Amino acid sequence: MKASNLAAVPSRPLHACETKSSEFIQLRDVYKSYGENLVVMDHLDLDMRADDRLVIIGPSGSGKSSLLRVMMGLESIQGGTIRFQGKPYIDGNARGKGKPMDCTLQTQVGMVFQHYTLFPHLSVQGNLILAPMKVHGLSRTQATEKARALLARLGLESKLNVYPSQLSGGQKQRVAIARALMLEPKLMLFDEVTSALDPEMVIEVQNVMLQLAEQKMAMIIVTHDMHFARHIATRVVFCANGKVVEQGHPDQLFTQPREPRTREFLEKVLHLD
Amino acid sequence: MNYQFDFNFLQGNFGLLWDGLKVTLQLALVSNIVGLVLGFGLCLLTLSRWFFLRWPAQLFIEFFRCTPVLLQIVWFFYCVPMLFNVFIDPITMGVLALGLNLTAFNAEAYRAGVQAVPHEHLDASVALGLRPWQRTLYVILPQALRTAIPVLMTNGISILQQSALVAIVAVGDLMYVGKSIATEAYRPLETYSLIALIYFALSLPIAQFVQWLERRQDTALAR
Repeated sequence: MKASNLAAVPSRPLHACETKSSEFIQLRDVYKSYGENLVVMDHLDLDMRADDRLVIIGPSGSGKSSLLRVMMGLESIQGGTIRFQGKPYIDGNARGKGKPMDCTLQTQVGMVFQHYTLFPHLSVQGNLILAPMKVHGLSRTQATEKARALLARLGLESKLNVYPSQLSGGQKQRVAIARALMLEPKLMLFDEVTSALDPEMVIEVQNVMLQLAEQKMAMIIVTHDMHFARHIATRVVFCANGKVVEQGHPDQLFTQPREPRTREFLEKVLHLD
Repeated sequence: MNYQFDFNFLQGNFGLLWDGLKVTLQLALVSNIVGLVLGFGLCLLTLSRWFFLRWPAQLFIEFFRCTPVLLQIVWFFYCVPMLFNVFIDPITMGVLALGLNLTAFNAEAYRAGVQAVPHEHLDASVALGLRPWQRTLYVILPQALRTAIPVLMTNGISILQQSALVAIVAVGDLMYVGKSIATEAYRPLETYSLIALIYFALSLPIAQFVQWLERRQDTALAR
């Protein structure tokens, strides 16, 4: 995988590094279930440093996407706590809580989804400037200028006034990444962002993510693409049945997994004998 | 049939017809504004997670859907003044009856539009930090409107035609004026044919526009 042809993605200072690295994200005893039978986060403990690029792998229903959705505030937890940048972020034990308590912290998380989520009634520019104007209070001129600069760095400057229906799948996902970056997040979440793409478009999206990696952006990535996972991750986490079965450096986890469950999964997805 | 058509008698009544037409247009236009605005609000209520908002909203819709428009108009004209001891001018009362009827039907059109907005778009708008009212205004409404426009416009045309029912309670609209002229001149065939022609001429371009819009949307979806 090469990221050489990529111009730099937003060269903003990485505030995430300001936090004491081991405290960037801490999940403690996090519990989440859908109904009584489907437990997707089973008293989960997980730590992430500010310079980590965490790739989460595992079978379907293992709670990978749920973790991202919880971090984004799209779903609540029923137990445990999550700290973000050293501050309490989500408290599943508090009554009626389980979602982000701090809106400011929540806006420092950006997320890109599997399905195209660009708003079809807005142009690329409209998609990019909506949140900066409405959430961060930027003027239209400031937001447009920022959008233009960001798109130029992603090689999409000619698409500023184009509508999403006129973009290819890969371009849509790159614009979706740009839209999330407009808010200068300190943590980016990628939920199977290349799963719905044709192979040649997968590369262009992965290249953008590698660009971000080069700039030490903190990321949590859920993917089924093991080669990409190995390439981009600083740490790979294997989840099954809502628990972290094993985690480690990609080279170790992909070549010498310690747990039989991990080995079994990797044999299946990598078609190893 | 050896009926002799004679339209000459209408010459002296053009002023009256014009006044009636203005009232009809006023009724249709204001009812549509009421229906478009309140319809979206009512639609949001029917989609609320709280039953004490959802149920009354649904009841409102069912009331207007399950009773004849003519009865609604008559009820508003005779019962509202009795119940609330208010006396409103006939045109406003007509707008109220027609507007609320349209609100109920438009709420259903909007609801289909809102439900057609992919759930991922809502997730994305949360991820972008938009507040609930911002999500509604900037993400849901424009998309719902786009889907609902053909039905909203069809509802709009039908309220233009149903506005003729207010003639029964003596609002001086096009139908009422026509009825008066036909009775005075003993020329119902010419008068009612002309009135029908005017309603037709008003509605046809809008109906054609709706068809064009629908074709355009089909093409856009197929892309």
